[in-house]
Amino acid sequence: MDVTNGVTLLLVEKFGVTRPSVEQEVALYALGLDSLALEELRLLIEERWQIDLEDVQLTSRETVGQLITAVQSKVPE
Amino acid sequence: MRGRSSGRLTAAVTGLGLVTAAGVGTDATWRGVTAAEAAPAVRRRDELSGLSCDFMYTIDGLDTQALLGLPALRMMDRFSQLAVIAAREAVADAGLDSSAWDAGRVAVVIGSAHGGLPFYDEQSTVLAEKGARRVSPKLAPMTTLNSAASSVCLNLGVRGPSLAVATACSSGTVAIGTALQLLRSGACDIAIAGGAESVCSRLLIASACQMRAVSTRRDDPATACRPFDADRDGFVVGEGAGLLVLEREDHARARGARVRAGIAGYGASSDAYSAVAPSPDGKGIEDALRVALADADIDPGEVGHVNAHGTSTVINDLTEGTVLHRVLGDRPLVTSTKAMTGHTLGAAGGIETALTALALQHQVVPPTVNLRTRDLRIPIDVVAKEARPASFDCAVKTSMGFGGHNAALVLTRSC
Repeated sequence: MDVTNGVTLLLVEKFGVTRPSVEQEVALYALGLDSLALEELRLLIEERWQIDLEDVQLTSRETVGQLITAVQSKVPE
Repeated sequence: MRGRSSGRLTAAVTGLGLVTAAGVGTDATWRGVTAAEAAPAVRRRDELSGLSCDFMYTIDGLDTQALLGLPALRMMDRFSQLAVIAAREAVADAGLDSSAWDAGRVAVVIGSAHGGLPFYDEQSTVLAEKGARRVSPKLAPMTTLNSAASSVCLNLGVRGPSLAVATACSSGTVAIGTALQLLRSGACDIAIAGGAESVCSRLLIASACQMRAVSTRRDDPATACRPFDADRDGFVVGEGAGLLVLEREDHARARGARVRAGIAGYGASSDAYSAVAPSPDGKGIEDALRVALADADIDPGEVGHVNAHGTSTVINDLTEGTVLHRVLGDRPLVTSTKAMTGHTLGAAGGIETALTALALQHQVVPPTVNLRTRDLRIPIDVVAKEARPASFDCAVKTSMGFGGHNAALVLTRSC
């Protein structure tokens, strides 16, 4: 599964976000993710792709697209 | 109503919320604890495999995600989830609308002994096996004892005083007593109070086994919890929540609310004797009971029913039963509903006070279902086998917690 679909699935299955609302330009706070939820999401992504996002700045102001780009940059080709 | 000479306010019980192994919802729980030949929902749990007590009372078929929704669910350990479900039912049962009430005049007081211990237990394993970078950031908000109260506030928009009560197995009763005092002080008009607990934790039950506090009757788990029975050998843990909506009587009357019962008196005491065992002379629970009766202006002879702490441990039941007879005499019909709900620890007082209110309302005393061979050293009339209709206007709920935390409530049929 590619990163876009994988992140979408995590948002839907773990955070109760509806699938149609997950669009590239939507800010994470608009999906109901606060700072605590973001840290939980960071853990889930790290587990899912076995990557380290410790050095990635992640706030609720970032969009879904920015998050996906950050994850893609860490996932080996 | 106010006490005849004390002038102290009686709180009106206008709403009940129950989620227990005996049933999901107040009506289902009441049916469960009063049913003839009821079958306790005691289940073997994978989490407890290999322990000398590998079973507990479990709430079957509860779809928490459907009831609460995933975004709210993921921020709560199970004891908080049960509290929110019970609180919603209690508020609806009271005919209150949380979108329309004066939110700053509503209080929440919820007792729990162990809070989010299961999540703590799980995350301890994550730390040991995967390291610090894999530990959940939600540990504090999900495990602290106050998280049930804060979750109810978040869910219902409550903005008045809210707090957690931690007095081990008397927490739920002390929470209701504390709510009564908040109402009397004028700090609120409405209080949502009781207890919540869910501790299917291998860590905790392993320790309870080492303490020899829990039943090890693995050959017959459904009858392992047998309060006041000569062959009792310890308690069996259960999960659940029991919350009451309490109001000042004038507040309840002004909005035409149905009053199920009244909370007329509260007493609390400390044994100063042991970290776990009750004082053998029962002085602590006797003091709490006498203070509650005086607070309510009720004579001991007026008490027709007691929902006892009745844990099914050898020493608790002997101590408590002896005190109940010493203070209240022969009249009260005594029961321990723990044989149907399990020992829900910090939730027990909330669940059992709600059941006491229902007993007053329906004029029926639920049975102590697993009682077969009476302990003849305990000189009280314990209702066994089937529910018993009775006529009584006053009832008592007693609770005793590890550490010597005793509490008693006096309930009246009307207020």
